[in-house]
Amino acid sequence: MSSSTLDKLPVGASARVQDVSGDPALQQRLLEMGVLPGTEVTVVRFAPLGDPMEIKVMGYSLSLRRSEAAHVSVEVAS
Amino acid sequence: MTEGHARHDRHTVALMGNPNTGKSSLFSALTGTRQKVANFPGVTVEAKIGTARFENSELTIIDLPGTYSLAARSPDERVATDALLGRIDGTAKPDGVIIVLDASSLDRNLYLGTQVLEFGLPAVVALTMVDVAESRGITVDVKKLSEVLGVPVVEINAPKGRGIDELKSTLHRTLHHPGKVLELEYSEDFLRGVDTLHEKLCDLGVKLGFKPARPEALRLLVDGAGPFFDDCEAVGGEEFVNTFFEIRERASAGRSLSMIEAQARYGTIGKWMQEVKQTEAREGRTKTDVVDGILTHKFWGSLVFVLVMGLIFQSIYSWSGPLMDLIDGGFGALGDWVGGMMADGALKSLVVDGIIAGVGGVLIFLPQILVLFLFIAILEDLGYMARAAFLMDRLMSRFGLNGRSFIPMLSGFACAIPAIMGTRVIEDRNTRLTTIFLAPFMSCSARLPVYVLFIAAFVPEMKVLGFIELQGLVLFAMYWVGVLAAIPTALVLKKGILKSKVTPFLLELPSYKTPRVKAVARTLWERAGSFVKRAGTIILAVSVLVWAAGYFPHSQSVDDTYDAEIASVEAEYPEAVVNFNPEEDDESLLAQFKAIDDAHEERVAALEEEGAEDLEEATAESKKQRNAEMAKLSGKSRLAADALNDYASWKTLQEQRGDVENRRAGEHLEESFLGQAGHAIAPAVAPLGWDWRIGMAAIASFPAREVIVATLGTIFNLGSDQDEESDSLRDVIKDAKRADGTPLFTLATGLSIMVFFALCAQCAATLAVMRRETNSWKWPIASFLYMTTLAYFASLVTYQVAHALGA
Repeated sequence: MSSSTLDKLPVGASARVQDVSGDPALQQRLLEMGVLPGTEVTVVRFAPLGDPMEIKVMGYSLSLRRSEAAHVSVEVAS
Repeated sequence: MTEGHARHDRHTVALMGNPNTGKSSLFSALTGTRQKVANFPGVTVEAKIGTARFENSELTIIDLPGTYSLAARSPDERVATDALLGRIDGTAKPDGVIIVLDASSLDRNLYLGTQVLEFGLPAVVALTMVDVAESRGITVDVKKLSEVLGVPVVEINAPKGRGIDELKSTLHRTLHHPGKVLELEYSEDFLRGVDTLHEKLCDLGVKLGFKPARPEALRLLVDGAGPFFDDCEAVGGEEFVNTFFEIRERASAGRSLSMIEAQARYGTIGKWMQEVKQTEAREGRTKTDVVDGILTHKFWGSLVFVLVMGLIFQSIYSWSGPLMDLIDGGFGALGDWVGGMMADGALKSLVVDGIIAGVGGVLIFLPQILVLFLFIAILEDLGYMARAAFLMDRLMSRFGLNGRSFIPMLSGFACAIPAIMGTRVIEDRNTRLTTIFLAPFMSCSARLPVYVLFIAAFVPEMKVLGFIELQGLVLFAMYWVGVLAAIPTALVLKKGILKSKVTPFLLELPSYKTPRVKAVARTLWERAGSFVKRAGTIILAVSVLVWAAGYFPHSQSVDDTYDAEIASVEAEYPEAVVNFNPEEDDESLLAQFKAIDDAHEERVAALEEEGAEDLEEATAESKKQRNAEMAKLSGKSRLAADALNDYASWKTLQEQRGDVENRRAGEHLEESFLGQAGHAIAPAVAPLGWDWRIGMAAIASFPAREVIVATLGTIFNLGSDQDEESDSLRDVIKDAKRADGTPLFTLATGLSIMVFFALCAQCAATLAVMRRETNSWKWPIASFLYMTTLAYFASLVTYQVAHALGA
């Protein structure tokens, strides 16, 4: 087990969300969209220009900017 | 059932759900064509209202904008809550609600679902996308879902029409029973906070003008800031704010309130799902994954994107051209036809130049609107719009926009009207407003005639660095003027006026679906109708106003002077020549000569049309033929020889008459209110290198930029049928002099006019559409003032610098 933030995960990596921070609006949006402690997220790809990134969460695909993903701390099962 | 009962059996039902859940198709399946768009005051989103029938009852259905949550950080997001509580003027309070849930991502869909169920309205769940869920190995137990939620669940497939009747009958039954409030497991502290705040809000109720509901107290507690908080602060003052933050403090017990809410909801949803949903691991990737592998691939994805965007731009910019020409030509012909039947005078001018030209000026935008929305509707339905936003977000975010802004901005280079209408794909309010404000800065096709006229007249045909055409370079630079002005504007707007922090850009990438022809057709129909009805009336009104300003006072003394001049010119010709009217006479010898001459002119026009290489030779050939035919005819008799002379005199007379008429129109325009306005602003535009005529032409082009070309034609006594390619207009503006005898137009003046038109807001249609899309006059007025000021100073600097450099 190792801790990281979502934006730093490589393509294909899965992890469990530990905490979601950021300014209140961002935190609330992330939580509403299902990115909350305990959920599993998988990095699918990064956009051709390097940002944003696509993740799988709760069975659907979500695009978010790396700066936003940096507020999601995750735990990678090794 | 008695008639009395039937009359009373009317209900209003709200339709709610996440985006991309098939909510719109369900709405269409329920209401068919019986739907209209409802505008909510103060917000930029709109809802559709339709009626559905079931046996003897009538259901009014409000299709609320798709959303992931009821959290309201902006007025647009508060619409759903207000609609559920019946707080919107002109819209009834719903007696029940249909909650659309997508079976393939049920967990996330239920987040909104639980929020709505807390309102306690009678509710029915419409479960969609069951087939998509099954293809991914997800099975949903409908009966179990209904049990845990405590409301009926109906499985539907709207495009195939399955489950619609069952949904209606279930709804019908449900509406006759009171709803049940869903109670989730929140912490004690949190629940106490909601109740305390609810009491506080009820105390404020009288001042707020409504009785706050408990779920609203929950929303306010969690959301903290937002329009509801602003309202409460306005009536409750500092005392309320202090109490509010104390309540939040105690309710949160040191944690984040959003976190408490989300964990309570998703916690319960998770437990439900263990009973309701079975997931069977599937080998391999889904179709969407495979397609995405290509469409968001670094190389292939970018290639497809560039091709698709190129196709969209090309279609709006050029392929809608023939249709636009058809509309333009059609209304021109209609104007001529109607004008031919009316006596000269103010009424004829109003009908032909005011109304017919104005209606034509509205409909001319339809091809571009329809073409853009054809693409947007197909790509949205397909699921590609979200991918396009995913690909472009990095680039657009540098300007404070997001990926969704790309297509509207691109469309702006063809025309700002479809571009502004296209911004409805942007969910975030501030980003949408910014994009609407910026779209008119992109150099649209209506600016091209202005550039072409002045570049051809004043920019020398020469090459820079040996291979770059200077004229082309200037044209290219004009396109950049708008972009360069838009960038700082975007940053100032986002940071300064809208004061928005970087807004989160969380974007669902929905699974790919086959676009449905019916849905696409409906979107096109709606967009076209909404443009014509709501923006068209404003555009028409402006056209008629500007026509009136350019027509009146139209004094009789001017007409008398020119009538006298015509009479004195005609006095020098024989009666047969003066009275010859080719429209009524096609038999006389004069008419026969004219026919020979016309045939020659038609041949030359045809040659020019096809761009014959040996144009000069062929023209000479045709002229020879004409001369031979004329000689043959005139040789027949003495009478015929005289007639040839008369025909030549008649042609000279026509030219003289035309010249007098053009001068008459020029003088009428000069003494019109528009002309007076031109004189009035002359001192203000003098530093731009303009005289009163250019100033007037700029004002006259308020309905549309390209009008400046025709106005210059009139004021320089060439008549109004001039276009930017016209040699005579080009020559006459080169020769035009100021009062002191120096040339009016120089390269510096030309550049100054072009820069002004690159940046100004002289387009009534854009402003009308802006009003329509933002639902407020604030934005079009701000846009007009800002762009005009910017255009003025940019033009000023351009002229002064160019003039100082000797241009």
